Amino acid sequence: MNGFHDWVYMTLAIAGLTVVTFATRSSFFMLPQSVQLPASWERALKYAPVCALTAIVAPTVFTRDHEPFISWDNHQMWALLAASAVFAKWRNMTAMICVGMAVFTALRWWA
Amino acid sequence: MMRRTRAHLFAYCPREYFDEGVRSMAPLSLAIGVWGLVTGVAMVNAGMTMPGAIGVTLFVYAGSAQLATLPLLAAGTPLPVVWATALLVNLRFVIFSAASRSYFMRLPWQQRLVAGYLNGDLGFALFSRRFADDPERGTPEQYGYFYGGAITNWGAWQVSSYLGILIGGLFPTEWGFELAASLALVAVLIPMANKFPAVAGIVVTGVLSVLTADMPMKLGLLVSVVAGGAVAVSIDVWRSRA
Repeated sequence: MNGFHDWVYMTLAIAGLTVVTFATRSSFFMLPQSVQLPASWERALKYAPVCALTAIVAPTVFTRDHEPFISWDNHQMWALLAASAVFAKWRNMTAMICVGMAVFTALRWWA
Repeated sequence: MMRRTRAHLFAYCPREYFDEGVRSMAPLSLAIGVWGLVTGVAMVNAGMTMPGAIGVTLFVYAGSAQLATLPLLAAGTPLPVVWATALLVNLRFVIFSAASRSYFMRLPWQQRLVAGYLNGDLGFALFSRRFADDPERGTPEQYGYFYGGAITNWGAWQVSSYLGILIGGLFPTEWGFELAASLALVAVLIPMANKFPAVAGIVVTGVLSVLTADMPMKLGLLVSVVAGGAVAVSIDVWRSRA
């Protein structure tokens, strides 16, 4: 099933995602000043995004048809590793995406 | 005598400080533009309709949450899972808002709501660096700098996303634009992986999310985030006690 052409699904999705944007970005701007962020919560809030991004990226790159796909033939995997190395060294997202896509395209053509 | 004043959506700010904010954000517009372009192309490439993609860009305005929920929407995943995923990715903004609230609390609520919407990763980073040592909070200088940077960021994001949405159909899917989307997310992820607990959380979440990829309704995603997050928090707590 593809959700993009179900306009009720998409409208509700966008409405909910908009609420999420405001609820997180404006959260402490809207709460009374007496409400502080507990230090213990801060830890959880810090690590949740790291893990959520990982849980999105890892399956798209390291699985195929819902099965683990760690192999020489996984072009996305090599592209991701090369791009990550570039970003870790130069902290430049544009260069990272260019290198990653170049490695992917080169492997797709020649490997 | 009561005087009714119109509620403006933006706090008053002097032109010179606004311009300073614009100038500090301008060099980052290229990176924002690439990220917006990738997001626009990725949305259309995944099959999103043009009104849907435009709605997401305008209202959601959160690149990482947009890209993270894209494969879920494509698969018609139940909406609570979609929203929960966006919430998890966006939780970092709760920390940003708590950290920068002292500058904004004297504004009326409408202005605080809009300022929050505009308070993304880059705007927050520049603003915090510029005013961290300023003893006074909520000055016209601060508002000017904030809006100048934030609106430049917003504009660069909107323009580049719409460009991506327009040209997205030109790229065949086998060019792998979903990979470009993943790479953009990794660029957000790597700076956050600067300490051992975060790295441990990434490894645990990554392995689990690959092994649970066949769970229905993308529930493996939530399971692996909860497990990885618990590991990261536990290690952090244990290290701070040791």
